[in-house]
Amino acid sequence: MSIHRFHIPLSLVVDPDTRNLSDSQLARALMTGAAWAHAETWNRFAPRVFGMAARILGSESEAEDVVQEVFYRVFAKAKSLRDPDSLHSFIVSFAIRIIRWELRRKRARSWLSFHQPEVLVDLAGTSLDIESRDLLRRFYAFLSRQAPRERLVLSLRHLESMTVEEIAETMELSVSTVKRSLVYARAKLSHWIETDLELVGLLDGKRGFNDA
Amino acid sequence: MTPDLDERTNPPALATLTALVHQSMQPATPEQLRRGWATVAARLSGRKARRRALVGWSTVGAAAAALVVLGVLSFSRTRMRPTPPAALAYQIRGGSVVDGGYLRESGNGAVKLVFAEGTEFVLMPGARGRLRTVDSTGARIAIEQGSASFQVTPRSDAKWLVDVGPFLVTVKGTVFTVSWDAAKERFELKLQHGQVAVTGPLAGGAIPLRAGQRLVVNLSKEEILITEQKPGEAWLGAAPDEPAEPVAVPRSDARVDDRPVTADAGQGASGRALVTAAGKGNGRRAWSEELASGEWDRILADADRIGVKRTLAEASSEDLFVLADAARYRRRTGLARAALLAERRRFPESARALDAVFMLGRLEELKEHGIDRAITWYEAYLAQAPSGTYASEALGRRMMATSKIDGAAQAKPFAEEYLRRFPSGTYAGAARALLGSR
Repeated sequence: MSIHRFHIPLSLVVDPDTRNLSDSQLARALMTGAAWAHAETWNRFAPRVFGMAARILGSESEAEDVVQEVFYRVFAKAKSLRDPDSLHSFIVSFAIRIIRWELRRKRARSWLSFHQPEVLVDLAGTSLDIESRDLLRRFYAFLSRQAPRERLVLSLRHLESMTVEEIAETMELSVSTVKRSLVYARAKLSHWIETDLELVGLLDGKRGFNDA
Repeated sequence: MTPDLDERTNPPALATLTALVHQSMQPATPEQLRRGWATVAARLSGRKARRRALVGWSTVGAAAAALVVLGVLSFSRTRMRPTPPAALAYQIRGGSVVDGGYLRESGNGAVKLVFAEGTEFVLMPGARGRLRTVDSTGARIAIEQGSASFQVTPRSDAKWLVDVGPFLVTVKGTVFTVSWDAAKERFELKLQHGQVAVTGPLAGGAIPLRAGQRLVVNLSKEEILITEQKPGEAWLGAAPDEPAEPVAVPRSDARVDDRPVTADAGQGASGRALVTAAGKGNGRRAWSEELASGEWDRILADADRIGVKRTLAEASSEDLFVLADAARYRRRTGLARAALLAERRRFPESARALDAVFMLGRLEELKEHGIDRAITWYEAYLAQAPSGTYASEALGRRMMATSKIDGAAQAKPFAEEYLRRFPSGTYAGAARALLGSR
């Protein structure tokens, strides 16, 4: 039997000149469907989207899937980008939409399941001690119990340091709705922390961590 | 009315948690980015092909319209034939399908195909295979070299065919692994569940196999061998059984019973190193390096490929500990526990064997009703290593666990002891809170 070898023509190696292009120049190329623009957009923005998705979802493997979905859709809809200067926010809005969809899907699945799945924090930070990992697991378990919108608002505000106005714009919500969601989410977080003695201990042990 | 919100306020606890998330987060690795781009590029090229096909169809649309009129006329005279059902949808993980249906790994791991009706097919690392056809009833898959495992969802109309070298395996609802070594002309099939029939050289017709049987055909020796698999022997991809009962140790007992608790771990102790794909010297990275870069799945796949039983019996002390960590991160608690118990049994004098006692406690805590057993392990650790690496954590965990199951009053002596020994330890805050409570 003859064996045929096939190769996917990957275009990860981008023309060096394209790296000097501004985002808006890149966006224009993307809108015309230039193949190199896909690769350059991926190289430029995929790491950021990956970081955001991993922090919000607490899982690198889920983040990988999200990033692929985000960019596939971005490339498919690139022609709908009206303002070439807003490529970054165009991509972020896609990312947030996909993450929100992913959170809704996970929540729906947890409702359909007979038992609550254990929350797995799948971040590769190997430098964390066992208590920190436990704390993270508990934090993401808390987040998983929140409504997708509140979880996303809380995560974007505190993990991604986005302003309320930015969150409102990318999530297509009013500023007051974002503020309300943030207040509710924080109240739940405070209640969670205050009522969990073990958590108090763990947090107390990490106090000053963020100042380090 | 919008509730008042002070944006400048960042609760200290939230700031701590945020900082932890940021510290735990690693940037995307080049491998992750390369893998992601390959998937997106493949999807994009598929989309372009579909669009080209659409354009092509639209150019002949006018001509087709005329044919449609004729078709409608003829349709009115003939019985409507049902449209053929759609082919099964499938998802590829860890690779892609390239021209000719060949499955291409995107990294060094296995390529997994998950079909919409639940059937799963895993092409092991290094194997070469291709997806020949897919229709509504199943698929035809060819293994040209190496191993693959199948978990076929039973359906009355299912039709799954697997070409393995010169052999053809006809499958219904079944779980099995199959391999073909072209150089040695050796075919092997291990059937875990269900039934299959194998046809090919030397067979002289279909060879039916039932659950628990293993067929080996050696063409060069003109030899066919069918053996029964012993119950309890680990299969490729199978995790060890979860022990029915944990190791029973009285709380006050200073020693932990180190009997093996799984059939897997029951092999004789052996200090010899396991010659694994993860071992050094074969060009692949050691498990400890893979763990450090978060490649837990690869470690687990290695262990599954080698055989869990053999891994537990022969892996080095370091690899056992790494395997336990990887299994714990991936929630294969049965495997993690078995690895830790094997560590204790096979390397009882090592420092890791002591660490394993603490880690066994942490594992028990993950279970719904495991706190009692966790306390047992923590107490055993504290008795054996009062100043050990995990002494502070073990004492803290014992205090918290006691508070949880017996109440704060019972936990107070542990809180006092903790504060006396570790006044600035991780659990000092919780200990003070316990002592302050009524």
